[in-house]
Amino acid sequence: MSRVSILEQHRLRWGLLDAYTATRRFIIRGMRQPDVIFGSVLIPVIFVVLFGYVFGSSIKIPGGNYRSYLMPGLFAMSILFSSNNVAVAVATDMTEGVVDRFRTLPIARSAILIGRSFSSLLLGIPVLVVMVGCGLAVGWRAEDGLGNAVLAFLLFELFGFAMGWLGILVGLLAGSAQAADVIISIPTFLLGFISSVFVDPALMPAWLRVIAYWNPISALVTAGRQLFGNAIGPPPSGVWSLDHPIATTIGLALVIIIVVAPICVRLYSRSTR
Amino acid sequence: MTAPAISAEHLARSFGSTRALVDVSLDVPAGSVCALLGRNGAGKTTAVRILTTLLPADGGHALVDGLDVATHADQVRTRIGVTGQTATMDELLTGSENLETIGRFCHLGAAASRRRADELLHQFDLVGAGKQLVKHYSGGMVRRLDLAASLVAEPEVLFLDEPTTGLDPVGRGEVWASIRTLVAGGTTVLLTTQYLDEADRLADTIVVIDRGLVVAQGTPEQLKASIGRPFVRVALAGADAATVERVRQLLGREAEVHGRSVSAPADNGLVTLGEVVAQLRQLGVPIDEVGLELPSLDEVFTTVTDHSANAGRMATTQVDES
Repeated sequence: MSRVSILEQHRLRWGLLDAYTATRRFIIRGMRQPDVIFGSVLIPVIFVVLFGYVFGSSIKIPGGNYRSYLMPGLFAMSILFSSNNVAVAVATDMTEGVVDRFRTLPIARSAILIGRSFSSLLLGIPVLVVMVGCGLAVGWRAEDGLGNAVLAFLLFELFGFAMGWLGILVGLLAGSAQAADVIISIPTFLLGFISSVFVDPALMPAWLRVIAYWNPISALVTAGRQLFGNAIGPPPSGVWSLDHPIATTIGLALVIIIVVAPICVRLYSRSTR
Repeated sequence: MTAPAISAEHLARSFGSTRALVDVSLDVPAGSVCALLGRNGAGKTTAVRILTTLLPADGGHALVDGLDVATHADQVRTRIGVTGQTATMDELLTGSENLETIGRFCHLGAAASRRRADELLHQFDLVGAGKQLVKHYSGGMVRRLDLAASLVAEPEVLFLDEPTTGLDPVGRGEVWASIRTLVAGGTTVLLTTQYLDEADRLADTIVVIDRGLVVAQGTPEQLKASIGRPFVRVALAGADAATVERVRQLLGREAEVHGRSVSAPADNGLVTLGEVVAQLRQLGVPIDEVGLELPSLDEVFTTVTDHSANAGRMATTQVDES
């Protein structure tokens, strides 16, 4: 074996170790921020009450129970919100001295960001568990078997991982935590609401309906509803992403990760403040 | 002769139209302490950021432990420890967890990282605070922890950017004591400071920089020896190297070049100054400013770092450039 390949092997092993160390650090940090945890659990619970009962009482979904329809949408919303947290946290890190400390250590340049995205994913799991609990309490069920339910959650996590990288990108570009919050909140808010998360887009005005149908969040939520065996409503014809929601979600998530992650690593290693 | 642990040649760096570093060269022998002395904005931090791989230079090059910081950044990072001006410790982790994380990032392994963290907490008198979150630390404790963090991997070369700025006298004393302990262990240290007495107490050599240029360097003794003796100083802002050299020769054996200015002892005070001005006129050298400097102990730093502030105190003669 050549010396170069031994070095490369070492580099890969160290890179994985660095990513693990970074993930570990962010998880310890995350668990010591009870206000953030409380917020990320509370908001989805409020949504369950608000949309499940307050608005939901006057929303009709053809061929199904609204709260069953709603829950996969709220899973998607919690993922969107977690990318907000990532963006704000990365922007905060970038304005503090800790980045300089990391950048003078002999660690893989991608390690800190990989740690950030994985820890966000892992810290999101308890939130998802609370959401599932709420869902079960309000009558939502995974009606298509455990296997498909697990697949659905894996799909949500994959998409969440991709959204985490978008959050990192915003955090790196924003320049301040406040700016990051504003920049990412508006698109996530619009993506969340102009979609099939809360209502069937079939009843929206034509121009808005087109946006809602092609919105990737609609594909994600439709995939979730399919795998959970929840009511979907009649699928609109001619919208490829909704006819193939699982393929769309996986494909899009992979494209986001493959394109955005390397950009983030370059931005991070070049940033000089 | 051993190779210098830090060797910088003609480092330059601009930020937009601001020239943070114009031309800085320095050599720090292995195992010695060098103080980079200068005011705020003199270019100290920029120099340290270049030497610690945080910032690329626009010009010149630098070797740390024999490795080029621009082309071998990864290897340089395995050999250096850095403590910057801003706190780099995670407030939501304990002191011990912070050090342990750095140890893991330096690939010491989990068990060795824990051991090293304990050692350093002991060394920096932070044992009691090791299990506390850093957000409950005092300013001096955070600074000591930061210093400890830069030593986790037992670096060959340590960079300390204003290690005592903003600390109260007690905190400053604590940090000084820590630095002395390290130096006794043979670590090469480059520290930046705004305080002459700090440089005097800690450093083997002092490099004074001002507006991105080296304006004086030597051992504290050499710098002190130059105090109390009047100096004539000729500023040659626009001059080329050959002109600077001609002026140096003109000013005699003891003349020293600092960036674009030449200074030499002027034992006869104003008489020497008059002679020098006459000779420079004859040579037709384009000169910015010629002055007689009468530094006192308190003023040595001011003298070499701020020409304009000195104009009132110095017997200054403006020479037109024709």
